[in-house]
Amino acid sequence: MSKERYKLHPISAVLNFIKGLKDLIFPFVIIFVANGFQGGASEDKGWWNYIPYIIGPVVLLFVLFSGIIKWKRFVYWFEDDELRIEYGLFVKKKRYIPLERIQSLNYTEGILHRPLKLVKVTIETAGSGASKEAEAELTAISKEAAKLIETELAQAKKRKSNKPAEDDLAVDGIDDVNHVAEATSIPIFKMSLKDLIVLATTSGGIGVMFSGIAVFASQFSELIPYEKIYNEVVVFLKFGLFIVAISVFAVLLVAWLVSVALTILNYYQFTIVQEDDQIVMTRGLLEKKKVTIPLSRVQGIRIIENPLRQLFGYCTVIVESAGGSAGDKEQKIRLFPLVKKNEIEQPLRELFTHLEIEPDWTVSPKRAKIHYYRLDFIWMIPVVGSISYFFYPFGLLSLLIIPIIALLGLWQHRSAAFAVTQNQLSLRNRGFSKSTYFIEKKRMQSFNMKQSYFQKRKNLASIETTIKSGLLGVTAKVDHMNAEDIEEVMTWYEPSGN
Amino acid sequence: MRKEPSNRISPKGLRVWRLYGLMHSAIIWLVAIGGGVLNWWLEGPWWVFMICAVVPLIYTYLFVYLFPKLQWLRWRYEVREQEIELQHGLFIVKRTLVPMVRVQHVDTEQGPILRKYDLASITISTAATNHTIPALITSEADGLRSRISTLARVAEDDV
Repeated sequence: MSKERYKLHPISAVLNFIKGLKDLIFPFVIIFVANGFQGGASEDKGWWNYIPYIIGPVVLLFVLFSGIIKWKRFVYWFEDDELRIEYGLFVKKKRYIPLERIQSLNYTEGILHRPLKLVKVTIETAGSGASKEAEAELTAISKEAAKLIETELAQAKKRKSNKPAEDDLAVDGIDDVNHVAEATSIPIFKMSLKDLIVLATTSGGIGVMFSGIAVFASQFSELIPYEKIYNEVVVFLKFGLFIVAISVFAVLLVAWLVSVALTILNYYQFTIVQEDDQIVMTRGLLEKKKVTIPLSRVQGIRIIENPLRQLFGYCTVIVESAGGSAGDKEQKIRLFPLVKKNEIEQPLRELFTHLEIEPDWTVSPKRAKIHYYRLDFIWMIPVVGSISYFFYPFGLLSLLIIPIIALLGLWQHRSAAFAVTQNQLSLRNRGFSKSTYFIEKKRMQSFNMKQSYFQKRKNLASIETTIKSGLLGVTAKVDHMNAEDIEEVMTWYEPSGN
Repeated sequence: MRKEPSNRISPKGLRVWRLYGLMHSAIIWLVAIGGGVLNWWLEGPWWVFMICAVVPLIYTYLFVYLFPKLQWLRWRYEVREQEIELQHGLFIVKRTLVPMVRVQHVDTEQGPILRKYDLASITISTAATNHTIPALITSEADGLRSRISTLARVAEDDV
């Protein structure tokens, strides 16, 4: 049993310092802005004017030293099948994490890590309740040290499973511990450069498209003989519209370019590998990230198709996973950030053997159509009415909203569906993008059937189910389905029902 | 048609809801009277008095009489060996099914008003959702809580 104490790499002092600086940016901005406003009015008031300039370096020095001391004080070692960590600046803290409780190790390689061949390791345990305490972060360790943690983990798991000797794995004995550490890894998915570029360019695409259309349309107003109606107003309107449209377009274009760049940085060389019962995801150009998700923690699968991507047959596959760090409320992991829809079946089958991707869908009945846009008239009529009234000739254009909303409603109606198979409930709906949920029966935390007065008259009902995601839940729902069908689903879900 | 869950919540719950409604309306009445006095002071138009009288009246009728009654009639629950079924909702009827295997813990809770009427509410939590049965006789709520927690322990995940 190794009881050697390990330290982090000295670079973590720098990383602590940078992190401390980041936390300080906000208060600093406030102090300097507040001071700046004063400074403008008074030229020379005395020494207290310089206080912020004195505090600044002092705080900076403090952050630097605390970063160094944090690194100095941080040690970790393995003992009694536990990962033990000791750290703390003024108060010494000890944290002991039983190795068997560790569910995944996530690696991040930042810009500072990479030239030195270091990684940041985040240790995740089964997050139950207030799991913030059960987590650990090793800011910078060498890759060999990270490997060592993995071997220790595998060994601990081996010992654990050897004691009751019930697993088939345990039969081989202890001598091939290393064999376990080098888990069999099957490549599942790799995002091609082309897909990456498509992903990046279509992520914020719709907004830009609309504003582009607006610019285009503002040019076209010349073709319409408005002049005869309201000459002066039209000149103003035309000019104003053009300026507004152009500036909106420019802002959106910049935002879009930034998002393209960020997406490429984040999702560069995105790969999914299956290692035993874990999904391992690596991605990133400047900052390399490696995230591990145990398959047992996956609660549901969701396929999202936004209209633009749907047009080209692309979709996004998201995995909802339970537990995880207390920081994020929901644990949504993009399993396949962008993939051709006709190519997802095989890799998904490989990962989730029981998954049924093409179940028999039961669609929303014809009589439900009107329910998808009827409620929208509540806001549409006053909005359209007042716009038409106050901006009389042009305001009438707002009447166009009505058919657009109605068409969207019809589209939503066409997408709405559910399917029940032996152990799986699948739900499909559309807000603007189409979402398809695949949820195993045993992952459903609860089931709701909802029926409003109007739905009841037409014998319709909505369906809703909640699964765990992160520390909270995610609710999938489909509106306006045949009520009897949903009652059947309810009987299917009822443990004593079948 | 699926049959409704069998149990109603305590009729005393209806009285508690009416009491809550009365409290709301008292506030609305105070605001309305304030508005009326102000209108009289400023010699405003007569229809303001009408609004100040009619709105609280309707509000009181709805929240003290009608809504609690409908809500009470709607509220049903049933705790079976393997699942809990709830039904409630005023405009939208919501029927919820929670399998016993998913139940993580059960709480009962009692505020001052509920205590006065010897009532308690019971909250059933799963890993991702919470479900509350609002007004049960305290002894019944306690019994139910221990029953659910026993059943939840027994229920095995056989899927």
